Amino acid sequence: MDLLLQTLLNGILIGGIIASFSIGFQLTFGVLHVIDFAVGAWVVLGGYLAYWMSTLLGVGGFVSLPVAFVVFGAIGYLIGPVIYRVRNSRYARPELMALALTFGLFTLLRGGALTLWGFNTRSVPTALSGESLMIGSVTVPLLRVVAFAFACAVAAALFLILYRTRYGLAIRATAENRHNAGLMGVDVQRLSANVYGLYAAVTGMAGVLMAAIYSVNPEIGLRYTLFAFFVAVLAGLGSVGGAILAALLFGIMESVVATYVGSSYSHLAIFATLYLVLLVSPRGILQRGL
Amino acid sequence: MVGRSGGVSRRNLIQYGALTIGAVAVGAPFMRTARAQASTFKVGVITSLSGENIFGGNLTRQGYDLWAEVMNEKGGVEVGGERFQIEMFYGDDQSNPATGADAAERLIVQEEVDVLFGPYTSGVTLAVQPICHKYGVPMISGSAESPNVWKAKPEFNFGMIPAVDTSSGKSVGVLADMSDPKARSIAVIGVNEPFSKETAEGFRAGAEDAGLEVLAYELVPSTADMTPTISKIAALNPDLVAVGGHEEALINVVKASKSLNFRPKGLIMHYGVTNPAFARELGADADGTSGIAVWLPSVPYEDEVFGTAKEYDERAHNRWGSHPDYTEAACSASGLVFADAAKRLGKKPPFSAEDKVALKDAIAETDITTFYGPVKFEKEGNHYHDNIQPVPVLIQIKDGVSVPVGPKDAAEAELTYPLPAWK
Amino acid sequence: MRGWFPIVLLVCGAAVVFALPELLNAYWLRIATGVLMWAGLACSWNIIGGYAGYIDFGHSVFFGIGAYASAILMGDAFGWPFAATIPVGLLAAGGVAAVIGGPTLRLRGAYFAIATWAFAETLLQLATVLEITGGTAGLSLPPFLNERFFYFAMLTAAAATYALTWLLFERSRFGLKVKALRDHEPAAEAMGINTAAVKLQAFALSAATAAVFGSIYAYWVTFINPRSTLGGDITDQMVVMVLLGGLGSLWGPALGAAALFIVNRIFWMYWGDTTFYIAILGLAIIVVVLFLPNGLAGLFARKTQNGSQNAGRALWRALTRPGVER
Repeated sequence: MDLLLQTLLNGILIGGIIASFSIGFQLTFGVLHVIDFAVGAWVVLGGYLAYWMSTLLGVGGFVSLPVAFVVFGAIGYLIGPVIYRVRNSRYARPELMALALTFGLFTLLRGGALTLWGFNTRSVPTALSGESLMIGSVTVPLLRVVAFAFACAVAAALFLILYRTRYGLAIRATAENRHNAGLMGVDVQRLSANVYGLYAAVTGMAGVLMAAIYSVNPEIGLRYTLFAFFVAVLAGLGSVGGAILAALLFGIMESVVATYVGSSYSHLAIFATLYLVLLVSPRGILQRGL
Repeated sequence: MVGRSGGVSRRNLIQYGALTIGAVAVGAPFMRTARAQASTFKVGVITSLSGENIFGGNLTRQGYDLWAEVMNEKGGVEVGGERFQIEMFYGDDQSNPATGADAAERLIVQEEVDVLFGPYTSGVTLAVQPICHKYGVPMISGSAESPNVWKAKPEFNFGMIPAVDTSSGKSVGVLADMSDPKARSIAVIGVNEPFSKETAEGFRAGAEDAGLEVLAYELVPSTADMTPTISKIAALNPDLVAVGGHEEALINVVKASKSLNFRPKGLIMHYGVTNPAFARELGADADGTSGIAVWLPSVPYEDEVFGTAKEYDERAHNRWGSHPDYTEAACSASGLVFADAAKRLGKKPPFSAEDKVALKDAIAETDITTFYGPVKFEKEGNHYHDNIQPVPVLIQIKDGVSVPVGPKDAAEAELTYPLPAWK
Repeated sequence: MRGWFPIVLLVCGAAVVFALPELLNAYWLRIATGVLMWAGLACSWNIIGGYAGYIDFGHSVFFGIGAYASAILMGDAFGWPFAATIPVGLLAAGGVAAVIGGPTLRLRGAYFAIATWAFAETLLQLATVLEITGGTAGLSLPPFLNERFFYFAMLTAAAATYALTWLLFERSRFGLKVKALRDHEPAAEAMGINTAAVKLQAFALSAATAAVFGSIYAYWVTFINPRSTLGGDITDQMVVMVLLGGLGSLWGPALGAAALFIVNRIFWMYWGDTTFYIAILGLAIIVVVLFLPNGLAGLFARKTQNGSQNAGRALWRALTRPGVER
């Protein structure tokens, strides 16, 4: 019974970790209609930002979070319009060319990180690293709880922005129909820069947490891209609420299969489930995908 | 065609650009790299400079490079009283067997190297072996610990490090033997990837031989989160935990264990613990972790090129900024094996095809002692052409440094057992 | 006179490819073999991705099935000769495509893309836990180190793939049906085309051709493991090559494959002792996407003639026409 509770908790926290870098990805797909291959690269860069801040300035990981928000927000704001231009060009298959563009971006960032920062696996210290809390017989790792809370906070903030502000209305209008939103006076190009900036900022912050919970090296980005894809599809592409649910499902499934069936089957089970879910319910578990 | 503005249009520019690049690409096969003026020994290095195995790939490269630099400082490799400089050529295998095979063929055919130094991973090594055989070029591997590499009896490939099946099992036996109170049970975790899995199998076999009860044997996908597996094992409460994996997975295991407040009485992991990066990234949390080393700076060996093991350690530290572990040392020693064989062969560079085959025979007869220890390659059996001379030592990290703790005759400090709770 | 031009080009091309083994050393012949393999794989992906318009992100599955079929059957347990393993891989891949194609091809757009990717990832994980595939340690094949054999094997396979594609998609009713369903599936259905059957056939064909290259690859490289045959980067490479070359055109994939593979190998050769070449490669892909929207094939296509540009425009119109599900 204790093990079952612990397993479920582990799963929920893994879900929170995965949600933290998948939510922004969902937003860009929902609004810009771009599948961003580079999502893993932003996670890695976020991790390195925190690593260098802790090495050079001696500050803990949490101090890096707002810095990551500003730095990656700015970078994303500059790159967003380029991706937007390709996605809405008159190319034969703009959605594919946009994907190829982000693949190129991913390769560029990976190669750059490898050349600049070398091959070592790095880790970021935080005030809560390794700390845990006993609740009954269950151990609660606090740093993972932070990631979970971060994911919830980002989701809540996005929800408030999207459904409670006029700007959110403009974003939703653009997501639904770019052309009509433009006619209604939304500066669609500007909005796309903001959305991509917001996404890069949030993903970079998640990267700081990933480097603290796990570790970071230039080659692990692909893993995060893989998980973000997974969550996006299970959730239904573009559905932000579904992303949290899908990430939780991913985490709980990984945890339960690893504990009760065997660790080597955890990812086999996860991807087989994803494939079957897609066949039965193509628009994701909530049927809300685009 | 003239563009609207009277200049060359962008389209044209790109067309011409593409044509130029195409022409260069077509011409590239016929360009020759000019052979250096004086004759030199050409050494080809195939290893993972990109892809998932970059960490180990770069360690091997540092080891090989240090040998070349030190040797060149001394004037080069001596053959028949004359000294010849060493030129290094690199092929990044991108952690992919097919690219490794491309690299081998390029280094042999295009750069005409006299000898190859082998890849970090066993998978790439297996793909490169047939190419070495095809051209009759010997390859000395300073890494590649998987036993699979030697099972096929590769005629042209030689390994410096004892295969992991000979070391991981023994070490877990030593740990169990030295534990006080005696350890009775163990859980084994292996990352499900080549080498790591074989390491875990070695741990399991060694544990069974030592009479330990194996409570769990878990293979984890390399991209999975460790907490579910750790929780499961924590519930079984084994005395010992053994982990087969690479440095990133090992760091994640320690972090996950600490965050779940699980501390076994003894923890042994392989490979990556002996590398200083492991202790540096984990800080105090690395202390108490055991590992396996087939070489340490404290071993009592020496040679003419690097001096004592201690001197080698200082030299490598000055050059790369980190202390070398046994992989780096074995890679540097690969160079010594080549220099020794070339000297015995007595042929001046560049080597002809027959010289290279003769070099292989000379390497097979190697019987030397280096700062890394004695080197002698097996002539038959499951470890054909592997150097199983080095004796694995059980180490434990104390204040961030790997210290030998077992077996008794090699120990420099007491084994800390059982491990204290997390701080 | 213009009718002769393609024939002259074809004869010259054939002369060059047959002369290459005489002109190149073993290393460059190896690169040429790699180019042929990727050209063939890109063409095979182009069948489902370019002609049928279904973006398959798990195409490595079929490449891997071919590779594993050869590796397993040529291993000690069976000891088959190489030639006999090719049809097995081909049929297995075609069969798997036919089975999963039924439900999977009902999905559209990004959902099809990611469903195929999930399937590929599932098979990759399966290969790491099974006994017969050798798990993560992989399988070794009996080495046969005749570079000319592999060059001509890849050449034959690639030539056959292109000839088949040309006949089926540029010169037959089947091709028209496939393109029609790509451009407007409901309309194609209304015209009486059995779209479900047609796209399943295209998918199976695409899968079977990829498997042939997998078989030859395994025998050529002599060692395979799950990641080197079923890994996502195999598919990524095919997709990027087709996009660079020109989607849905016959020769685009060959151009893209040759360009990417050769440029990658040249960067790797000259700057291979640093990892900077990876960054350059990424930059090159970005530049092509930004400045060559229709791929390399579009660069040399006559502006107003049929070709990828025109197909692209037609597709764009089909995609942007109101009422069409994207």
